[in-house]
This record gives sequence, C-alpha cells and structure tokens, in this order.
Amino acid sequence: MTYEPPVTDYDYIVENCTCAFCGCNCDDLDYLVKDNHVVAVRHACRLGASKIMEDMDQRLLVPMVRDENGELKEVDWDTALDKAAEYIANSIRPVFYGWSETSTECMKEGVALGEYIGAVLDNQATICHGPSLQAVQNAGYPIQTLGEVQNRADMIVYSGSNAMNSHPRHMARYAVFCRGYFRQRGRFDRTVVTMDPKFSDTAKCSDKWIGFEQNGDYGFYNAIRAVLRGKELYQDVISGIPKEDIYELAEEMKNAEFGVLFFGLGLTHTLSKQRNIDIAIKMVQDLNRYSKWGLTPMRGHFNVNGFNIFMAFECGFAFGVDYCRGYPRYMMGETNTIDLLVRKEPDCFMVIAADPGAHFPNGANQHLANIPVIQIDIHWGPSTELADVVLPGSFIGVECAGTSYRMDGVPIYMKKAIDKPETCRDDEWIVRELKERVMKLREEPNVAPKYVPNPNAL
Amino acid sequence: MKTITFDQIKTSSIALEFDELIPDEIYSWTEADFAKYQVPIGNSRFPITDFFDITVEGEANGPEEVEMILNGDLNRVKYIGCKMSAGNIVCNSSVDLHVGAEMSGGSILVKGNAAAHAGREMSGGYLEIEGNTKEFTGASYIGEWRGMTGGQIVVGGNAGKQCGECLTGGRIHVKGNCDILAGIHMTKGLIEIDGDVNRWPGGQMKNGNIVIHGFLGRLLEGFVLNGIVVDPEVEGTTFKGKYIHYTGDIGLNGKGNLYLGAEANKEKLAEYGELDDEYTSIREYRNL
Amino acid sequence: MEYILKNGIVYDPANEINGEKMDVMFKDGLIVDNVSADAEVLDVTDKIVMPAGVDPHAHVAGPKLVVGRLYRPEDSRRGVTQKTKVLRSESGFSIPSCPATGYRYSRLGYGTVVEAAMPPLEAKHTHEEIATIPQLDIPAMPLFGNNWFVMEYAKDNNIEDIAAFVAAWLKISKGYGIKIVNPCGSEAWGWGMNVHGVNDKAPYFDVTSKEVIVALAKANEMLNLPHSIHIHPNDLGHPGNVPTTIETMDAVKGIKKGKGAAEVRDQVMHLTHLQFHSYLGNSWKDVTSGAEEVAKHFNKADNLTCDIGQVTFDETTTMTADAPMEYDLFKLSGLKWTNKDIECETAAGIIPCIYSKRSPVSTLQWAIGLELFLLIEDPWRVCLTTDHPNAGPFTRYPRIISWLMSNEKRQDMCDNEVHKWVHKRTLLPTLEREYDFYDIATITRAAPAKIYGFTDRGALTPGYRADIAVYDINPNDIDPSKQADEIEKGFNVADYTIKDGQILVKDKEIVKVKESQNIWVNVKGWEQNEQKVIDNIMPFFTQYYSVKWENYPVHDHYVSNPIRVDVDGK
Repeated sequence: MTYEPPVTDYDYIVENCTCAFCGCNCDDLDYLVKDNHVVAVRHACRLGASKIMEDMDQRLLVPMVRDENGELKEVDWDTALDKAAEYIANSIRPVFYGWSETSTECMKEGVALGEYIGAVLDNQATICHGPSLQAVQNAGYPIQTLGEVQNRADMIVYSGSNAMNSHPRHMARYAVFCRGYFRQRGRFDRTVVTMDPKFSDTAKCSDKWIGFEQNGDYGFYNAIRAVLRGKELYQDVISGIPKEDIYELAEEMKNAEFGVLFFGLGLTHTLSKQRNIDIAIKMVQDLNRYSKWGLTPMRGHFNVNGFNIFMAFECGFAFGVDYCRGYPRYMMGETNTIDLLVRKEPDCFMVIAADPGAHFPNGANQHLANIPVIQIDIHWGPSTELADVVLPGSFIGVECAGTSYRMDGVPIYMKKAIDKPETCRDDEWIVRELKERVMKLREEPNVAPKYVPNPNAL
Repeated sequence: MKTITFDQIKTSSIALEFDELIPDEIYSWTEADFAKYQVPIGNSRFPITDFFDITVEGEANGPEEVEMILNGDLNRVKYIGCKMSAGNIVCNSSVDLHVGAEMSGGSILVKGNAAAHAGREMSGGYLEIEGNTKEFTGASYIGEWRGMTGGQIVVGGNAGKQCGECLTGGRIHVKGNCDILAGIHMTKGLIEIDGDVNRWPGGQMKNGNIVIHGFLGRLLEGFVLNGIVVDPEVEGTTFKGKYIHYTGDIGLNGKGNLYLGAEANKEKLAEYGELDDEYTSIREYRNL
Repeated sequence: MEYILKNGIVYDPANEINGEKMDVMFKDGLIVDNVSADAEVLDVTDKIVMPAGVDPHAHVAGPKLVVGRLYRPEDSRRGVTQKTKVLRSESGFSIPSCPATGYRYSRLGYGTVVEAAMPPLEAKHTHEEIATIPQLDIPAMPLFGNNWFVMEYAKDNNIEDIAAFVAAWLKISKGYGIKIVNPCGSEAWGWGMNVHGVNDKAPYFDVTSKEVIVALAKANEMLNLPHSIHIHPNDLGHPGNVPTTIETMDAVKGIKKGKGAAEVRDQVMHLTHLQFHSYLGNSWKDVTSGAEEVAKHFNKADNLTCDIGQVTFDETTTMTADAPMEYDLFKLSGLKWTNKDIECETAAGIIPCIYSKRSPVSTLQWAIGLELFLLIEDPWRVCLTTDHPNAGPFTRYPRIISWLMSNEKRQDMCDNEVHKWVHKRTLLPTLEREYDFYDIATITRAAPAKIYGFTDRGALTPGYRADIAVYDINPNDIDPSKQADEIEKGFNVADYTIKDGQILVKDKEIVKVKESQNIWVNVKGWEQNEQKVIDNIMPFFTQYYSVKWENYPVHDHYVSNPIRVDVDGK
C-alpha cells in the first residue's frame, strides 16, 4: 500500500452517511464531494471506500434490450420497461432474485409485483446465510445488537468467519478493539477466539485459534455441548482438536461475563450446513446457564438482513417465498432460486441488485442463459452478459435514500449524498413502473373470488 | 373399487402440483370431471388433460376404494398423495418433491426414485419407494419440532441427508445407505438402516431408536456407550445378532438409543480393547 | 359522505347508552348528531352497535415480532390464506404477518391497537411495520424501564431531566407513552441475571426497580401525558410474585395526576397482563392463585387500571421485553429460544408456548385471568387483552367474551375440560358474576380509550372519529349465559367495521383496505430542557451507541400520515 496524501480538493462534506457494502452498515462515513462525485470517503474501510468512490466504474447508464442478434442495444426507458413487463406478464414461473443491495422501500414494490403475478421472491440468503436462517428456525436466535457487544463483551468468538477481510471494521467498530462502557480498555479487556480450519487474518490477531478440521464443525460443537453437560470425552482427538483443548475452551466460555459468537459462511457451508449453526445456537443456549452468551451471523450484503426482516413482516417467511398459488409458501429445496434454476423451472428471471452470473453454480447459470433475464443494477457484471433487459438503477446510500437493516437488525436510514446520473432511475421507481405495466398487461392470476378463511387460522 | 389411471402424454418443465388430486378429493370424479379440472403449474392453471390421459374404471363410495395409477415421467409432478387419508397410489416412475407429505392413511408405492421431502410430516399410512430418495425423508416442516408422527416409510435404495429429522413417531426403514445426520432431533419412533451411514446419526436426539446394521463412519461425542446387546428388541421388533448400544445425545440429556451392528463395526469394537464373547457390557468390561 | 346506521341496539358506555335502539350518524369521517336526507342508510336493525374496539396492549409490530415470524415458519404456515381481489394473502396464527394482523383486527371490529413495546433504537422498524399493517390506528409505546439514562437520572432522583428525556424520546421514536418492562431486570439480563422484587438493584447502576417506577411516574405526570405509565412489573410468571405486584401498585401511592391529564384519565399507573403477576406459592409445585389478593388490593386503590392477559389454550408464541423470564421459560419447555438484547435500552425474549387444557399450570393461568375479570369490581378499570400473542392470539377475544358472559360455560369447562387444579387452587368455580353487553363494551372500548386519554375514539360522541363496529347479535333475543357459542360466533366477525367513516367490513367481508396511522404524543413547552438533556448525554451517546445520533431518530419518512397529539407539558 503506498502513501496517499489526504484529499483536499472537494466542494463539501456529507457527514454520517451509511456504508453500502457489508452487513456492518457503518453509519459514520463522511463523503467528500466534488462536482457531484464522491472523491474521498472518511472512516470507511478499503472495501466500502472503493465501492463508494468508484461508483462510475463500469457503470450501467442507459437501459438496454438484447436484440435478435444477441447484442445488447441501448433503448429508451419506455421500450426497456415495456419489454421487461412483457416478459414478466407472460411468465408462468417467474423468479425475482436479489434485493440485498437495495432498500426496503424498493422491496415493498417488489413484493407487490411478486404477489400480483405469483412469483418466487428470493435473496442472497439462499446462497449465503440461508442455512443460518434454517437453523434459527429450528433452534432459536439468541442475538444482541452490536452496541451491546461493544459495551459488554469480554469474549468474542469468530467461527468460520474471517472478519478482518470480509467485514474490516467489524472488529474495530463493534466487537474487539473498540472501548465499551464496561470494557474501557478495549482489546485488552477481551479474549478473542477464532475457530476456523484456516489460520486466517482474524486468527492472527486472536488470542486463540481453534483450527478444527474441515467439515468437522458439527462434531466439534457437539463435543463442547457434551463437556458443558459434564461428560468426559472418550476420543482423544475430536474433529482434529485434542480433548484437553476442548475442556479448556469450554471452561473459558463458561467463565466469560458476556460472550458473543460471530459466525460466517465457513460454518454455513460445510458438510452439515444448517446443522452446524443449529448446534452452535444450542451451545450458546447451554452457555447461558453459566453466563451471558449471544450470537450474530456475519451477514454479507448491507441489506441482506433487511430483505429477510422485510419478507417476514410482509408474509411470515424470511426468504425463498413462492407466491405462485396466491399465498406464500416456503420450503427448502423447492422454493429457492438455485433449486428452481437447477430443476430448469423458471421461465423468467429478474435479478435486482445481485450478480448471479458471478455467484451461481454453473448448472443454474446455464438455465439463466436460456430464459429471459431482466437485470436492475448499477454496474456491468457477469449477469449483464446473461441479461435480456438491462435497467440501470441508482446507488442506495449514495445517490438515493432508503432503509437498510444491519446484521443485528438495527434499521438505518441511508441518506442521499449526490445526484444520480441523469439517465438512471431509482430502483424503487423502476420496480413500481414494472408493476404498473404488468398490471396492465395481465390479469392477476390465482385470485380467490371470495375470502375463505383457513380453518387453522381461526 | 375405482381405478383411475393417469397416462402421461406430455411433460412439463415446470412442476405440476398434485395436492388437489388425492383420493379424498377425487373418489367421486368421472372422466368428465377430470376434463374440467385445471392443474396448478407455476402461477397458472392448465387442463390436466393436456398432460395426462385419464381413464376411470369402476365406482367408489369413499377414498379408501380408490386406486390411482400414474404412468409416465413424473419427475416434475410434486405433492403426489399429499395430505391423503385413504386409498392407494402407484407411481410407475420416479416422482418429484413431497410424495406422501402429511399423509394420514392409505398407501403409496413409488417404483422409482423420489425427490426430497418424501413422506414429510406423515401421520399414518404406508409409503414405499423402491429406488433412492434425497434429503429430509420423513422430516418435519422447517421450524416444526414435531415431525413424522406415524405410519411407515420404506426406502429400497439410499436416503439423503437428515433422514427422519425430528421424528416423533412411526418407522423409517432404509434398505440402502444413509447420508449424515439421520434422525437428528428425533424424539420418538424408529429408524432402521440396513446399509452404511456416513457420519453422525442421531445428532441432538432426545429419544427414539436408530438401528444401523451397516458400517458407521463417525459417531458424535454426545453418545455414551452402554454395552453390547444380543438380539435387542426395539419397538416390538427383534433384531438378530450382536449390536453395540449407545445412549444420547447427552447435550440434551437425551435418552435415545443407537444400535450399531457389531459385525460391520468391528473396528469400533477394537477401539474398546480385546473383547470376548462373554462380556455383554463394555462398561462392565472396563470396570473390571 | 353521510351515513346513517339505522335501528341498531347501541352500547356506548362513555355516553351511558345501555342497549338503546337508536340511529348512529356519521359524516366525513366523524360522528354527527344530524345528517341530511341524502344520507346513505345502513340497516342494522336489532344488531349490536358499539364504538370500534380499542386494544390497549398487543404486540403487533416491531423487531421482536419480526424475529418471531422469522423463526417460526411453522406458525406462519398455520394461517396461510389465498389473496382475494381486495386482500393480500395472509399467514400466521399466533404471530400473523402485518397484512393479516390488520385484516383480522378489522374483522373483529377493532379500530385502534396499541403496540405495547418499542425499543427506541429500532423504532424505525416498528414504524415500517405499522405502515404495513392496514386498517388500524396504532400508537406505539417506547420502552424506558431499563434505559441507561433513565436509570442514571432515577438514581439521582432527577425527575426534571427524566421528564425532558422522555419528552425528547417520544419525539425521536414517535411514541405515545412510557412503557416499563421488568424495570432493572432486563438490564440485569445483560449479565445473565434478573431482579426479584421491586427493591432489588440493577447491577452496576445501583438503582432499584421501585425508584425507576416512581421517577418515571412523576415524570409522566410532570409532562401531562395522556396515558399514565404502562407497567409490566417485575417477577412475571414466577410463583410467589404477588407481593412484588402489590408493592408495585403501592409504589405510586400519593403521586398526583398532571393537571391536563386529570381531565382525560383517572389512573397514574396501568398494570399490564395482571394475570401473569398473580401467583402465590414458592414453586410450580405449590403454586396457587393470588387473584383474590391482587384484586382486593387493586379494588381499594383508585389510581390504578389494568389489563388481564387472558390465557386462551392455544399454541402461541410468547414475546416480551422481559428477557430473563423467557429464558426461564425456555429452561422449562426446551423448545427453541430467541433472545434479543438492545444496547443501553432493553432486551427481549421469544419462545413458542403451548397452553393446554390438560396442563395444570395452563389451567391455573386461565383461571386466574378469569378470576381477575370477575373479582375486579369496576369494569372501567380493567381491559380485555390476551397480551397478544403471549397468552393467546387476539383472534380469541370473542371466546373470552363468551366466557365472561356465561357462568354456565365456565362451570362446564371447570368440571369437564380443564385440569382439576382449577377446583383445588383457584376460586373460579365459586364465582358466578356474568358480564353483560354494556360491561363488554366497557372493557373492550370505552375503558381502554379512557385509560389512554384518547379524546377522539372509544365512544359514539358527536365530533369523535366515526369508528364503529356492528355485530350480528340481537341482545333481546339471546341469552348469553346459555348461548356462549353463539356469542363467540357473533363477535368473531363484525357485520360492519367502520373506521374514520370508511366502511372497511361489510356483511362480514372486508370490502376496503385503508392505510394505518400512527398516533404519537408531541409534548410542548419542554424544548429547552430537552436540548439540555440531549447535550448532556451526547458524549455518552457518541461513544457507546453503535449508531450515529443523526441516524437514531425516526425520520418523517417512516410516519407519512401520523395523528399527532399535542400535549401542553407545562
């Protein structure tokens, strides 16, 4: 990293902006603006700053529609919206995927459209923290806000998460280095443990590294639970960890005053998937018999939690909601984007503020290449290559305001700092336009003529 | 007795939902009724006759007198026999998700493979799958801690992950192998696995029985060794031979029973030291 | 538009109308005493006409609700219904989705529902949900009982600063009044502990629960807030909590009502879900009903009101800001446990809960609730609630009404349906009192409206909002004590629900969907004190809150269409 002199050439500063990168949603950012462009960002980490400052890099500026030769051609907004609405209106199994990098205000329009046409609404949880949510549904959710961690926690555990690289300010602002009300000496008042097969950057600055073997998570946590129940371990080495270390760790966790377990995709995507989290939650519940413990999933996108919260209050299910029969359904392996794509069911796919082209498995992307794909996004990416209609949106938290939910569920109103490019539109406006156009093109399918109460609901 | 035969004429890439076509609903239907019926596909409904030739023979006064025979490629037909309470369904091919889900009676025979969630939350009846099946056989709805409460599932081939999740009654018999975490969270009932098990059966189980005749790859620490039992009787069935008996999962103060076939798991026995046939309890042996 | 509801049988306790056959008229959203000849006539001959219901304590919107929905898909699945031409799809039984909540209240004939607990840090979330619930007016009560600033001020007995703090925080969170949940206990839960009784101190803060209650009550009256303090006392759900409950009641003895508030309400403290606070004994083995003792004490004190939190024998979800109690419950049930701690403010817990007629404890709780209803003499001081969803979903209100109106039904249940503890450990089988329609209208409409100091609803007074419910019950033709099932059926779905003069339910079907409004209290005259307090706490806030001050308040964006209640605080 070379030395960069501070930026002094700017018109004005916008204070207390919210970072639109990871689930930390740091809301203390200052944008230095010159000529309606963010030239520097104060307080942000490298990831956040680069995303905010390089907002014009490969920026999608004009709506595009793929023509018969397979080329994306620039068109006006009406043409593009009409084309997109036509695809949606003619579809039988539409999937609207993404939503994690846009505001809940936009989701509101999205759920209205999805419920009207009978679509599947899903977000990135389906490929990242979906197993965490399933585990939460099986085992519970002992969570706390990040300020609580800052003020009270004296033991921090990162499991399957490399916060140093993925959420760079997490340790600094909320969990480890920061001074809290009851932890006035910051880092010195806390014990940090990293549980990860890899000796990650987070492990390097931890007091303890538990390098259990890959896919051994479930067995490892099960052993801790057994120890907490007073059982003597029979095997000498469990999941690659000597039993003495497990005794020591369990003792340390029992004696913490306030402990928090942060877990990431390293835990959600190994062999036993949601059951890893399931047993981690159970372990935290056991630990509460001795002291105070909580956990928090390290959510990736800044509003991925927002979509789950939003859908839960709109329809009772967190993600992968299938409206095709006129009522919400939620079922693992049936109403999730990847499963649907691999089964080659969808016949229309709208991706908003996400990049399936880069993230989805090959089998899923193969099907995407065969069906109409509508993309609402701000940057050119692999998904653009798959898209048949491209609708350039705007950058929430920089170019337009909106609500997001931090990883711990704290809502933050992300404010607008600069104007969006003239040819772009707000995501919320785009989805509302699509909804209105679809409503004109197709009658609402699957509408009961009369209200029939569900006997279970009475 | 009424026989309703569905002969496929066309497949669909989007799954057909058969939850309304169960004996309880259609026992009185004639061919004309089927001609009027539209089957849900995605967000729309299409005439069932576009996809199936339906022949109705005989008369039925109730669902128990109905036999449905489904011929053709059923890989995109889901919810077959979902919530049925009586009658008989025969599928002459592989089927899609949720076959026999929430059924309370009657029987289903699948002469092929079944996709995930077969027999989910069933409370009675008999479901037989001749081929393999995938995840969550006889499991609970997500979040629900009361899963399958009754009835019987027989899988001729292999079963996927988390077979019998949250089992609260009934029996599951897998004749092939099982993937990880069979019987996780179970509280009652019996899972019998003839083949091998990859890892960690019975995670966080509170009660109930798991019998594994084949080889077990890895066992959880939450299980406490009880001893060797000969010809154990589990829920009314006597299993012939020697079995290693564990209790677990201790993390939950669980009292579940796990029986491992001693023959296939000789290595595990070896871990406990030399064993003579006379020692019926390893705990005893250790205390000597 | 002008309307006339013709020939209904009107129960309007606020105006002392007890079952008179008369017409009710409304115009442009308000009740009037005269309409022109063009008025549309709605024939409601021999049907019960009441003001629309006011629910004084329910959990319908906010962060803990959403966690409940998120982690209980099996509950969401239980209430799934298909969308119709007018309505969106519904889901959920004990914790319905936002649209379902609005529709179901509307079908019950309710127009106003108070969201009983809102953590200020996540108030934006609560308001987003309120905006998603249709059909209702929803005030929300911010939580103050475990707030670090409040505890600090209470320790110094600095009432003026507490008052200024409350005034500022009502503006910031767009809240209606002061909610106190397990004062000092939820803070103790930050260290995995609890307080037991009103004289226990919160760890570190060195202030007792009683001091916090008294300080907040005084501040409440200093500000002339329309509602009194709204308290969920310590020791909820623990056998032997009666002394704590009584001490809590006694804590506010001698506190004078604010001069503006005296005109609209009688109480200085509202005790919520009193049922959960009326257990005698030392453990679940020897627990007995303390309803008689509590009711006796309650009847004597004239500055208190309460709601009950009646158990309804359902599988439901308990959720409360009393997090340590939820952990205790989890240890008993072993089902899935959720906890949510909120920095410097509060904590919440959620678990699924099954109230069963065969269970002795559930039966006891059910009986205590009914005992309290029957032993508290003045219906103006008690409200009908299930503390939705804690003791049961609000959709069970009609069933509770049928129990209250029929001694025969209750006796039948005691003898044949519920656990025998009801005879051994409660007085319920000996109580013969029956509510009449006038009393029912009081405990579901008039009393809660008065307790909250609403001066625009809860009665059919001309000038009030036209919030009206019509039920298909002919009071002259029905014997409630013999026909309990018909009563339940009649109250289950309103014939008409009218909100702000708009007909939302007609012939038992929802015909119109209306946007909800938030009601919040704007205290005037304290601006300078508020600024001073904010300046004082700013260094603390900047250092120890995880959000910036600028991002803390509820922006106007979230309350697009509020009803602002201006209060003269000086």
